[in-house]
Formats: sequence, C-alpha cells, structure tokens
Amino acid sequence: MREIASFEFELTRNITIGQYLPTGSLIHRMDPRIKLLAFTILVIAMAICDTYVGNIIALAFACYLFYMSRIPISYGLSGVKPAVPFILILAVLQLLFYSEIASGGTVFVDYGFILITSDSVRLVIVSALRFIEIIFLSSVLTLSTSTTQITHGIESLLRPLKHVKFPVHEFALIITIAIRFVPTFAMEMEKMMKAQASRGAEFGTGAWWRIIQRTKDVFPIIIPLFNVAMARAEDLVLAMESRCYTPGSERSIYTKYKAQNMDYMALLFCVLFTVLLLAFPFPY
Amino acid sequence: MSQPFIQVEGISFEYTINNHKTVPVLENVSFDVHPGEYVTIIGHNGSGKSTLSKHFNGILKPLSGNIYVDGLNTREANLQREIRQKVGMVFQHPDNQIVATIVEDDVAFGLENIGVPSSEMKARIDFALDAVGMSEFRKRPPHHLSGGQKQRVAIAGILAMKPDCLVLDEATSMLDTYGRRDILDVVRRLNNDGMTIVSVTHHMSEVAEASRVIVIEKGQIVLDGAPREIFQQYELLHQLQLDVPLASQLARLVHEYDNEFQADLIHNEEIIQEVMRLSAKRGVYVG
Repeated sequence: MREIASFEFELTRNITIGQYLPTGSLIHRMDPRIKLLAFTILVIAMAICDTYVGNIIALAFACYLFYMSRIPISYGLSGVKPAVPFILILAVLQLLFYSEIASGGTVFVDYGFILITSDSVRLVIVSALRFIEIIFLSSVLTLSTSTTQITHGIESLLRPLKHVKFPVHEFALIITIAIRFVPTFAMEMEKMMKAQASRGAEFGTGAWWRIIQRTKDVFPIIIPLFNVAMARAEDLVLAMESRCYTPGSERSIYTKYKAQNMDYMALLFCVLFTVLLLAFPFPY
Repeated sequence: MSQPFIQVEGISFEYTINNHKTVPVLENVSFDVHPGEYVTIIGHNGSGKSTLSKHFNGILKPLSGNIYVDGLNTREANLQREIRQKVGMVFQHPDNQIVATIVEDDVAFGLENIGVPSSEMKARIDFALDAVGMSEFRKRPPHHLSGGQKQRVAIAGILAMKPDCLVLDEATSMLDTYGRRDILDVVRRLNNDGMTIVSVTHHMSEVAEASRVIVIEKGQIVLDGAPREIFQQYELLHQLQLDVPLASQLARLVHEYDNEFQADLIHNEEIIQEVMRLSAKRGVYVG
C-alpha cells in the first residue's frame, strides 16, 4: 500500500497564477501599462542580445530588479528550477546539432557529425542565460503586479486596436473570467477527486511511465468537470445579462491609470538600456 | 392604491425538450407588485417559481400574456436595458455571478455596462459596498470570501445600478445560517428604505419577513396574501409539500392545548410575547 501524502488533493494550495507579493516598492506602484511595455521591450532586448558581456549585464539588471522591488530572489530561483531540465536538453541539442548555424570561431571538437566550435559554445551559454533572465524578469512582473492590474493594463494597451475592429474589451473579459474561475474550478476538482477517491478511485498511483493508465485515471474527473463548467457558464451568462451586459456595446471604464513622471522615466531607462545592450560593441 | 411596479398579465410559459416534447411551466399567471412591497414567492421544486422570477427582467419572455415593469413591456428588445436597470436580479449560486478578479471591479461591471461616467462610479461603488457592509473587502479577490459575503457583493453589484426592485432567485439557498441572516438583514434594510423586493425561496423563515406571500403550484398561483393568513392554511400548505415556520407550528400546537394562546403567530418574538402576556394574565411571573 502506497502512502498517500496528506496534501494530495489540496489543489488550491498549488495555484501559482497571480502570486502577487505586495511589498509596496517603486516597481509595485508603477503604472501597469508602462510596466508591461517596459517588460516587453526588455524581453525583446534579451532575446536579441547575443554577447557574453551583454547577457551578464542583463542578468545583473534582472537581479537588481528583485532588489528594487524588495522581492526575495529565491522566488526567481524557484521559477528557474522547473525550467532546468529544458535548459539542459536545449543546451545539449544546441551543442550537437546547431553547428551549421554557428560554425564560426575556433573548432574545439570535430568528430563525425559532431562539430563544436566557440560559436556554438557561445550559443549554448547565451541561450541558458537568456532563459534565466526572462524567467527572472517575468517573475518580477507577476510578483509585483496583481492579475487584475495585468488584465487592465493589457486592455488599455490594446485599446487602440479597437479602430481595426479587434474586440479589446471582450478579449480582456475572457482573460479576467478565466483567471477568476481558476480557484473555483480547482476547488471543484478537489471535491470531485475526494468524492471519487472515497469510492475507491486512485489518482496518480501508477508509475510515471504508464502514461495511458494515468491519463485514464483522470477521466472520471475531467468529464464531470466539463459538465460543471457548462452549468456555471450558463449561470454566469444569465447574471451578466441581468446586469445589462451586451457584447459589443459602448461601455465606460472604471479603472483608469494615470502614468506619473516616474513611470516615463522608467520606460525611458528601459529603452536606453535596450539600445545599450543591442548597439554597444561588447568585446565578447 | 399606487400604480403597480410590476404587472404580470396572464402569462404562460413552457420549455421545449428535444424539439417536440413541451413541458408547461406557467399557466395563465396574473398578479401585480406594488412599489415598496416585499413579496416572497414559494413553491416546491419544479413548481415554476424560478421560471417566473426570470420573467421579471426579461431574461425569459412569456409565450402568451405580458409583463410590464414600470409600464415597460419586457417583450420589447429596445427597452431591455432600461428594464434590467430597474429590476436587479441576484441568483442562487454565489460563485457564478461574480465576473471580476477583485470585489470593487465586480461592482463596477454593471456600471460599465450601462455607461455610467467614470467620475460618478466611485461614489456609487462606495455607496453599494457600504449598503451591504462589504466596504473593507473592496480590494479582495472573490475566492477569499465566504458564500454570504459573495452574495452580498452580488447584491452590491446590483445596488450600484440604482434599481427600483431587487429580485432574489433563491439567493440564500446555498448559504449557511449566518450568511442567510446577513443577506436577510441587508434585504430588510433595503425594503425599509423603499426598495421593492421580490424573493423566490423555499425557506419558510424568510417568508415570515415579507409583507406578502404568493404560493405557486404546477405553474399556477394557489394562495396570495399576508404571511399570517397564508400560514393559517396549514392543511393546504402541507398538501403542497410546504412547511410553515417553526413559530407558526408551535403556536398552533399550543393553541390546541390552550384556546387562549393565539394560533396565528409567525415570528419567534411573538411567541415570547404571547407567553409573557398569558403568564402575566394568570399571575405567573416569567422573565
């Protein structure tokens, strides 16, 4: 008999969506629209920059953001941990099979189809650094911005797209409702798993390589969950219609953000940082 | 008597199952609700009470007959928004009517829909959250609230739209005793301030709160009157699989022993007063 951990059914505990950590720092108080813009610019910069020095500077900057937002860097590291296998697999693949793209520089190994050059080594290390930088950066974003602020931010950033008939509000509403119902469904699923388990069902007890078995185990949960979701959606539609919701009609907006000088300064700084990262001729 | 706020004129409704079988739900139902009234609609499961309540703001349209809300026919699509602004509706499931990820945004949802200017919204949200006693929770995510608190947020979302009438469609049936009591407190206060209340329920203790009770069975109105009169029809209610409040049962039982004890009591406090009255009369000191 396998021992069952007491937290096996406690799904709500493991929800990481919106792991907002309010510390009231400067970064927390930034206008979410500007924060999202700055985030996008920095991610693009990090994705393009391909020098050792540039990436080390970017990583240092990402670490500094943790300090600035008064969030312990361990939160960032715990975000990197699950990505480590992917980073390693990617590194091996790049090292062995990317020689055609990165064939320049000194040749280190040339054995059969394996060709390792200083360029391909650089590719591997820079990719790994990029991964960590971007995880750090998005951790800072989600830890310092509540999901509500993020959806509001996305909505108002996309608002100009309304002119080309993109349903901006509907899009934002879909995201909001999806986030809103994550804990509800997690709780629902928890209840169902407990109900099924008390009637002898087993979840996740098969060995991990028996993928088919483990998938089958989940069916008794998935189908009722769909059912419940449909019922909830129906109720929600009625409630929304009762509150005068008509898709596509003109609405007013409650949450309005007003960017402060500090926000513009931060954005300007990020743009300058990006230009520096991409344009400066780093020696390595 | 004043001009009725909701006029229900001979409405019928049926559901169609599998495109050919029809199930009649309401048959020729007529009644009026006057401004400031507190009406409860009771009936056992499947009696059609919930279907009836969904007609009040035009979610369902009657097959025949008409419903007028403040003189506006619910059939007319271009009046729909105005009608739904006048008649707010709170549903059974606390979780399924909150759309936003924080309380304050959810209250704002209805206001955004009807195009209230942003400058006016804050005051309205403050008012609504204050009216249901949820002001301190305005920045909280809804999943951290209890069922009763969620239901109060749902009411706030409607109050912010300044309706004239609040329809509660079994709004307390998923709540515990405390949650239910909170909701009833809020509803009673709103009614005292002049709001028309229509409450669909099967909790008899809630019925005693109302000024008028409509009992519905197989899609037809069988009783309509003040709670005190209705609860006297014990036999009929029993046939309809409906209970009477505990206070009412107790008064009736004591009345069988002692004719002087009044049989038509419906509130717990009335029982206490009656016991005190009779004891004092008979020279027994209670208290």
